[in-house]
This record gives sequence, structure tokens and C-alpha cells, in this order.
Amino acid sequence: MVVKSVAVGTLGNLSPQKTLVSVEGLTVRRDTHLAVQDVSFTLESGTDTAIVGPNGAGKSTLIQALLGILPRQAGNVFLLGQPLSPSGRLPIEVRQDIAYLPQNFLLDRRIPISASELVGLGWDRIRPHLPWTGRRTRDRAIQQALSQVEAWHLRDRPVSQLSGGETKRVLLAYCLVRPRRLLILDEAPTGLDARSESDFYRWLYTLKQEQGWTILQISHDLEMVRRSCDRVLCLNRTLLCQGIPDHALTPENLTLAYGSEFVRYRHSC
Amino acid sequence: MLTLQAEFTRVLELFQLPFMQRALMGGVLTGLMGGLLGSFVILRQLSFFSDALGHSALLGISLGFLLGFDPTWGLLPFAVLFALCVTYFLEHTHLWTDALLNVIYSSSLAIGVILLSFREGYRGGITNLLFGDILAVQGTDLVFSALLLMVCVTFIGLTLRSQILLTLNEPMAIARGVSASVQRTTFIVLLSLAVGISIKAIGVLLISAFVVIPACAARLLSRRFTHYIWISAGLGAFSAVVGMLVSALFDLPSGPSIVTVQLAFFLGAIFMTRVRAF
Repeated sequence: MVVKSVAVGTLGNLSPQKTLVSVEGLTVRRDTHLAVQDVSFTLESGTDTAIVGPNGAGKSTLIQALLGILPRQAGNVFLLGQPLSPSGRLPIEVRQDIAYLPQNFLLDRRIPISASELVGLGWDRIRPHLPWTGRRTRDRAIQQALSQVEAWHLRDRPVSQLSGGETKRVLLAYCLVRPRRLLILDEAPTGLDARSESDFYRWLYTLKQEQGWTILQISHDLEMVRRSCDRVLCLNRTLLCQGIPDHALTPENLTLAYGSEFVRYRHSC
Repeated sequence: MLTLQAEFTRVLELFQLPFMQRALMGGVLTGLMGGLLGSFVILRQLSFFSDALGHSALLGISLGFLLGFDPTWGLLPFAVLFALCVTYFLEHTHLWTDALLNVIYSSSLAIGVILLSFREGYRGGITNLLFGDILAVQGTDLVFSALLLMVCVTFIGLTLRSQILLTLNEPMAIARGVSASVQRTTFIVLLSLAVGISIKAIGVLLISAFVVIPACAARLLSRRFTHYIWISAGLGAFSAVVGMLVSALFDLPSGPSIVTVQLAFFLGAIFMTRVRAF
């Protein structure tokens, strides 16, 4: 399956080395404990970065604080050059350039919504507007996005009747129904079979290569990270290491992140 | 045949009386409002919330009596304040929502009945509060209902996509720039006003039926979100018209007749989905 290329309006003004995300000393408290402590890193445009670390390491918390979904205790976050306010606010124009898929995106199957309606939600501007504003452009964008992930035939299907792989395809269409600059995925391919997972990564690769999207994804699949990511952030509440996967994912760093048992197990495999 | 014709003429004459026309209008407005807000209420699992709001209205009305306010208009600010307090409690305690709402609505019902017992002359009126009296709807009630319906339609219409996204997945909505707390609070305030304004006609016990039953029936009949909202509001209004006719034909209490018609539509929707599945 091939993601067809589309014209991306925002791409022209991006230089390859532009810093898209900058995080300085980010600390997030959840209930009584510090889930993320003093984390700093930057993401350059057009790169694919993975966050790795054991369960409970604060990976999802980091991403949610980065997007202003969770409040932060300390630190500064800049997304696409704009500061995220302490209360998590960001200009709507910047938000439009970012797509986010949360962990285990399980839809409540009782919600009546069709695949094309779900994709359309990714197109809409969030400011108050009449529901029929820009209907033709919207319909065209939905058709183009669903066709790109070869899911146009699913357009009228209720989301409750989609398989896991089909749902992920529709969600990817939700992300690419508008040109974006940053895609943030929280363990997106979880629950997919090997074929659907490899399709999913191929789409991501195409988005990065052909359209210059910057990708930040949480992953447990260290082999995939080595194979397809440009950079890796190793997290266990604090940032333990960062860099090119082959350099950063050393047995020493993995021991720091996951514990010695895990590394011994992986080496014996 | 003659009897049927006579009955029909009697019902037609009945609906020419101003109080019946007001009741019909009131029923349709409440049905539309309940169906519209209800479509989001059931998906956001707030059904119990609307029930708790209904029960708390009794407390609001009895407080109004004691403090000398007009019970109808004193109720509205109380309903909004109560809804905001309950939302705060729900967000800041780690108890189960249904359990906490049960605590709130049973205790507000208990306190409301105690407060009413201080007013000697009002004991008989408690039935009216519990089941409402749609035939007693006044012109001003209709004006307020119509205004509130317009506010609800404008709010849902202009923020429709944000509301759908928020219902589907809150983190995803916030990441897109939806101000979740503002949207949620506005929705809760509108819901509490809708419940508060409809209490007089429908009563404390049956108001949540107007919010929940048409939306559940619409859910069974829809595959798209936009259709679902239209069907829910439409069924709410249509049930009110049919319910009022049934009530006039068979001389039955109006509010309960409307709710029974809603139930009939709901059962019909279950039947239709079963037939479609074959």
C-alpha cells in the first residue's frame, strides 16, 4: 500500500534543520509522585523520533504535558516556535499543524459515527463556525485523505464496525486530512497484526520522506526504532539518554532504563 | 364509527383551547431540547446527572418557598449552581460517578421533602412537583423555553465538531485546541437550565426520560452522528405531539403519556434494528 503524495502548503517555509519542538526542564506531577522530572530535548523538522522506556516511565505523561493536555509543574515547552502557556494554551493555528493520536485509541463502539465523519473532525477548525462552512473543500479533503490510506470504500461504515487495522487507517486519515508539520503518536500500532503494522510504518515513512512531517512516537518496539527512527529518547521519569538509535540504545543505557534482567533477556534471544 | 368520529371531534375541540395549545407547544419545545441535549448526554454517560438535576429541583423549589422566591424562577439559578457544584465534586473526588450522584439526588430529595413539610398548605402540591402539570404551562414559560432552545441550538450548532470530538476522545480534543472545561461547563449549565425550565411541565421524576429515551432510540436508528442528533430531537418533539393526543383521546395524565410514547418509539427502534440484522 502506498501513500500518494499531496501538495503541502506549509512545507515551503521549512528549512531542514529548523527546531520544531523545544522542551526545557519539563517536570510533571501526577497525584503524589513526579512522573516526569527535568526533561529537556529538541526535535528538528523532518525527523522521526521515538520515546522508549518501561511501563510507568512517564512516556505518555510527557507527551500529554507537551500538548497541554496535562498540567506541568515546571519547565518550558515551545511547539512550532510558539510557547505553550502554563495553562496549556497554544494558538489555534499552531494546533492545526499538529496531529495527535492517544494511547490505545479505543472508540466507544456505542458512539454512532461514520469513518468519513471521524476524518472530517481532523479537518475542522476549532473556532465556533456554522457546521456547513466550507463543505465542498471539506468533503474533498476527506475523500483525498481516505483514498491516501486506501480506505475510501470505508467512508460510510460506522466506526464501530471497523477492524483494528481499518480503524488505525481511518485515524491516520484523520491526521492527514490537513497538511500538518508535527505528528505525535502514543503507541499507535498497538494491537495490529504484523502486516497492518508494517503498512502503518510505511505510511509514516512516506509522510516523513515525501511531505516532511516531523514524527514523535512512543514505542516499545526497539527493533523498529533502530530500523526506522532518526533519534531516540530513553525515558524513565528522567531522560536517561538521547541520540541516534545505534548510539543511544546501548546495553548500558537499556539497563538504566529497563533494568539488567531485560537486557540480559534480549541479548540471549 | 360514530363514536370514533365523536371522539375525534372532541379531541379537535380540546386542542382549540388555549391551555391545550400551550401544553402542546411546551411539550414540543421540551421534546426538542431534551432530544438535542440528550444526544450528547447519553454518549457522555451523564444520564444519571440529568436525573440528579431533576431531583435536586425539588430542593430548589422548597428552598424558594421558604425564602419567599417565585418557585419557577428561583429554581433556575439554583439548578445552575447545583450543577456546577456537582461537576466540581465529580472532578475532585475519586468515587464512582453513579454512586456519588445517587448520594446527591437521594439526599437532595430527602431535604427537599423535609423543607416542604414546613409549609402546611403545600403538601398536596408535591404530586404536581413529582409528575408535573403540562396543562398549567403559561405563555411566559413558553417564551423562556423557546429562548433557551434557540441558545442550545446556536451553541451546539456553532461548536458541533468540537462537541463531537470531545465526546469521542477528550485528550484528542484538547490537543486540537478545544477548551474542554469551558465546553463541558457550558453544556452542563444549558442542561441544568433545560431541566429547570421543564420541571413545571414534566415533573421531577420524569424529566430525565425526555433527555434519555429519545436519544437512546435515535442511537439505535443511526449510523452517522449528524443523523443521530436530528433523529433524537425529532423523536423528542414527535413523542410529545403523539403523547398529548393519546392523553386527550384516553383522558390520561399528559407527562406520563408522552414518556410512554417515547418508550414505544424506543421499543420500535429495538425491533427495527433486530429486523435489519436478519
